[in-house]
Amino acid sequence: MTIGDWNEAATELNEIVASFDEGEVSVDDLFVKLERATQIIESLEARLDATKAKVEELAPRIARVAEQE
Amino acid sequence: MVQDESAADEPILEVGQFYELVTAHLEAALGRRHPRWVRGEVAKVYEKTHLYLDLVDAGSASSDTKRPVLNAHCWASQWNPLKRKLAEDGVTLKPGVIVSCFGYVDLYAPQGRIGFTVTAIDVEGLLGDVARRRQELITRLREEGLLEANKLKPLSPVPLRVGLVASPGTEGYSDFTGQLLKSGYGFEIVLVKTAVQGEAAPAQIVSALDALDQAGVDVICVVRGGGSKGDLACFDDERVARAIAAMATPVFTGIGHTGDESIADLVAHTRAITPTKLGEDIVNRVAQWHERNVRLSAQRILGATEAILEEATEYVGERRRTMIFAVRDRLRLEERHLRATRERLVLQSDHLLSAAQQMLASVRQLLSAYDPTRRLAQGWAIVTRADGRVVRQLSDVAGGDLVWVRLSDGTFESTVRQKDGEEQ
Repeated sequence: MTIGDWNEAATELNEIVASFDEGEVSVDDLFVKLERATQIIESLEARLDATKAKVEELAPRIARVAEQE
Repeated sequence: MVQDESAADEPILEVGQFYELVTAHLEAALGRRHPRWVRGEVAKVYEKTHLYLDLVDAGSASSDTKRPVLNAHCWASQWNPLKRKLAEDGVTLKPGVIVSCFGYVDLYAPQGRIGFTVTAIDVEGLLGDVARRRQELITRLREEGLLEANKLKPLSPVPLRVGLVASPGTEGYSDFTGQLLKSGYGFEIVLVKTAVQGEAAPAQIVSALDALDQAGVDVICVVRGGGSKGDLACFDDERVARAIAAMATPVFTGIGHTGDESIADLVAHTRAITPTKLGEDIVNRVAQWHERNVRLSAQRILGATEAILEEATEYVGERRRTMIFAVRDRLRLEERHLRATRERLVLQSDHLLSAAQQMLASVRQLLSAYDPTRRLAQGWAIVTRADGRVVRQLSDVAGGDLVWVRLSDGTFESTVRQKDGEEQ
């Protein structure tokens, strides 16, 4: 099952968390939902790490512009 | 033939003698020792070492073939210092200028022409005339709305493509371009070389303005370093003023020194007091744009990027923790539920078991009431036939049958000999 873009993934993750909060998760669903939530979280973290790496590469270049007098 | 009687006795003169006589008379009346001021409008002017002027009465029509013309000339020895003075004051002797010349008459016999040798020119008067003409031009330009025309042209917020009307190698050019180059911004300078002083300058400046207006530059800068009024006179030229007013591109000027203000300055979109200041002005505009649109934007982007990443990191971490806790809570809940169920079942089992035990006890008690051993002990006996069946009534046996009699402590065999009672 594919994972959507950041907002779609976050929405799905929030829904899973909400279902836990509301006690809607049966024991049979527990593993499925936990596995799905883990996939989403890992995907988000991977995207975040990739974005951070790109930002670390670009930020000094933007900073040079930002610090110009 | 009509002859004046008074000349009858005069000898006949040769031509040369006649000119000598005329010259003597002219010398006596208007010669070197009797110089006079003569005012006239310059009809023609020509300079080749010496200055040659054709003066006519002011306002006379050039089509009038009978208008008087004075062929004046100013020898180089007088003309050169005069020329310098006029140049410093920005005065050019050109057709149309009214000038008062001080000098004396001379006669050039080989051509039979009377001339006028100029020894001085009324510079003050000329200056007044120039000032008047300048003011009249300003008034005309104002009335025609041309002083404001170029100021209304929209200016690019980041004027990086700069059209330049200047003379390379001059101080003004270096001062202006130096500011742009040292700024570090990527200015593109589109230069159209022109003279920036002298007779040819106005036409060249107009041509340069036209070319740059077509070149799609962001701004046209007219640059000229300091100089005498004469040096800067081309920037008071009406053609230049009108050309600037007609430009679709904003025209900036940086002409002369602090105190100089040319008509070009008045007509321009923006005027700087020197070429250096003009360069600074252009650089400042770009710097301000850069500050607003690049540097501050970069700062905002950096700040926003950090905030977004921080928020996203926090979000993912929080969701991860939430999931862990949620699952743990869920599992604990299930465990508790199972434990409770198990406990409930155990309790229920005990209860059932107890009830069963009670039931068994009562049954056992009930059964004990029917226990035959108790009856046997009381003296009762159980009679069974040989086949083991219990004898319950007389008809179950016949005379002579062997029966077994069970007592509380054992059995004995017996034979039916007689039956009493009513058989059923």
